[in-house]
Amino acid sequence: MSKTNHIKRSLNDKIVNAIIILFFSLFTLLCIFPFYYLFINTISDNDLVSAGAINFLPRGLHINNYIALQNVSDLGSSAIVTVVRTILGTALMVVTSAWAGYLVTKQKMWHRSLWYRCLVITMYFNAGLVPWYMNMMMLGLTNNFLAYIIPGMVAPYNIILVKTYIESIPAALEESAVIDGAGTFKVFTRIIMPLSVPILATIAIFGAVGNWNSFQDSLLLMSNRPDLYTLQHRLYTYLNTSSNLGALMSGSGGVSTQAVQNMLNTKVIKYTISMVTIIPILLVYPFMQRYFVKGIMLGAVKG
Amino acid sequence: MQATVSPKVRQARVPLRQALPYWIHRVLILFTGLLIFFPQANPGRISLKISEFASLFTTAISRSTITNSMGRILREEWIRQSDITLLMIGSAVILVGILLSAVGGCMSLGNSRMRRRGVLFPLAGSPLMIAGCGVIYRAYQNLVAHGEEVNRLGRIDPNLPGGLTLFLALGILILLSSLAVLILCRGAAVEPRMEMDEKFKLFLMFLPVLLLTFVFAYLPIYGWRFAFFDYKVGDALTRDNFVGFKWFTFLFESAATRSDLGRVLVNTLAMSGLGIATSWLPIAFAVFLAEVPSTRFQRFVQTFTTIPNFISWVLVYAIALAIFSTDGFINSFLRMLGQNSAVNYLDNPDHTWLKMLLWGTWKGVGWSAIIYIAGISGIDQQLYEAADVDGANRWHRIWHITVPGLTPTYMVMLLMSIAGILSNGMEQYLVFRNARNTDVIQVLDLYVYDIGIGQGLIPLSTVVGIFKSLVGVTLLFGANRISKAIRGESII
Repeated sequence: MSKTNHIKRSLNDKIVNAIIILFFSLFTLLCIFPFYYLFINTISDNDLVSAGAINFLPRGLHINNYIALQNVSDLGSSAIVTVVRTILGTALMVVTSAWAGYLVTKQKMWHRSLWYRCLVITMYFNAGLVPWYMNMMMLGLTNNFLAYIIPGMVAPYNIILVKTYIESIPAALEESAVIDGAGTFKVFTRIIMPLSVPILATIAIFGAVGNWNSFQDSLLLMSNRPDLYTLQHRLYTYLNTSSNLGALMSGSGGVSTQAVQNMLNTKVIKYTISMVTIIPILLVYPFMQRYFVKGIMLGAVKG
Repeated sequence: MQATVSPKVRQARVPLRQALPYWIHRVLILFTGLLIFFPQANPGRISLKISEFASLFTTAISRSTITNSMGRILREEWIRQSDITLLMIGSAVILVGILLSAVGGCMSLGNSRMRRRGVLFPLAGSPLMIAGCGVIYRAYQNLVAHGEEVNRLGRIDPNLPGGLTLFLALGILILLSSLAVLILCRGAAVEPRMEMDEKFKLFLMFLPVLLLTFVFAYLPIYGWRFAFFDYKVGDALTRDNFVGFKWFTFLFESAATRSDLGRVLVNTLAMSGLGIATSWLPIAFAVFLAEVPSTRFQRFVQTFTTIPNFISWVLVYAIALAIFSTDGFINSFLRMLGQNSAVNYLDNPDHTWLKMLLWGTWKGVGWSAIIYIAGISGIDQQLYEAADVDGANRWHRIWHITVPGLTPTYMVMLLMSIAGILSNGMEQYLVFRNARNTDVIQVLDLYVYDIGIGQGLIPLSTVVGIFKSLVGVTLLFGANRISKAIRGESII
């Protein structure tokens, strides 16, 4: 290989690299900018925001919009419902998945593979929206908070993930505990649970994000109970309200009338509520990213 | 099978004379246990004004479900709250009785000593069931008496439900079968301790999970019955409105429905098709990102491009509004540049399919690429070194090493998305829908939602749902078979 050829090739490579880096930088910007744009519009002077003057940099910083949110009716109840559902629903789902995932690794179980297949097939088959809805009605789970918690407890995909993980734990650990006289339940709590923390954390994160983002079950099941709407459903109704959202605000509250006056701006209220719904995800995301990645990898090796 | 039995538990072969009563006993209890979820068998529907969706289970636990459609009747006290309470108590007593019997049924899987103990539970439980039926009958009598008193019998529609007789009969049968078990199996050897074979123990521990799966994933199939009735919300399913396959043929014979369905299918297949046609994008994303020399840059890009995957479609729509609506970013930016711009880009129905594809790509491409990024790091480095020695350039390495290394994963993803071609979900299309683009954005899932929940055409939307489920399962098994044939591995 002659020297000029080599230089030419590396120059060529550098140009290609530059193009690739440019492309990815632009795409990354495309992914971040909307969040940034929403955010600066919620903390800038509301008059400037109405005039459409806040495009790249915030001006006239204030946090009154966030403070004034406490006057938006129904937002508080939705926030509580969503937080409680996220915590409870995730916790129950994780415990159930761990327990079920552990049990399906037990070859000795009576007709194990039949039950396991029954569980897995539900990932690919469902009876359809209306039969599902009628079933929920039949079980008394319409307009009922429990509808957010109980159906989500058995998550077949997560059970598969846990099962795959537990199968990779050396059997000797469990055997020695059994020899020491530990029963199934003790083995589960003392050996299996502590050793599966990574996978349990992974499914917990996925579950929590899923619960936080839940919209469809609220839309379908809570038609008579607006106080049980999830945050996403609430946001959806706000986004579709074309009238002035100021009507939704009660005049009284912990903030000055001035702050409320400033809030009488549909656009800003929509932005601020959206931001409040996004922020928790953006906050946990950096810490949880490795778990997300682990989750999708485990799913891929399932086969 | 005998070989797998652990030495601790002695498992003598149970003679048929002894085993048969147990099996009858267990099947009876299982049958009763399942019946509590079926509204048709509800012993508590003592008035036709009680929701026809209330099963015994809901009657016992959910007052709001029972009284759902009773507003005026309760306000005017034509039915007294105390009678409803009595009804709920009766139902709860039956439930407790069934629960006790179920415990006994589970214990009957143990050794003879445990079976002996276990039979005591249904012995206690079945009288409770009978008593519960009595309480419900009492509530019925009260209801009728009060109805006559206030002279509104016609409005409260008292009804002596067939389920009451059914559960009474089941209670008596369970009582008899447990007595039979008790008497017939008296002579069996009694072990010193209660023990159960490991395989049954594990099964019983898994049973709650199976129960939840049954209730939430298999029980809905029972809702397919609506497809065979002329049903509107509030009706009962009776022989009168049974119409057989009318709705199935209606789907193809009614011109309006047929054209609707055709349009919806075109939308569905077009948008799924676009998704499948661009399903190589995440691979390209991963391959080119891996070409960047700096790992820090790679990690940076990966972190930020995966964020959109974790926000809901409602939030994506919120972002779309912030950027593309009349007072959104694009317009104010154009105004900043001196143009007089006030266009609501979201309202525009042109190129809707493409726009939906772009939103989907924006949300998902970074995330989908992760699996391929990991795949690339799993490719043997020696292959690249060998290629370098052979004088391969960057493109050769990508095309002849990286891409073939990722193909197996891609095939799985591709087959899965082909199997799911009819299910593109409804959330994205629901939030982006408006008056102008509704004709081109309505996909099958959204259509089922619209006609079923929106317009209350329950039989028709059930029929569409059934077709969708069946096609989906067929495609999945087809894809699985293809995968087995080509790769020798199944995908499910």
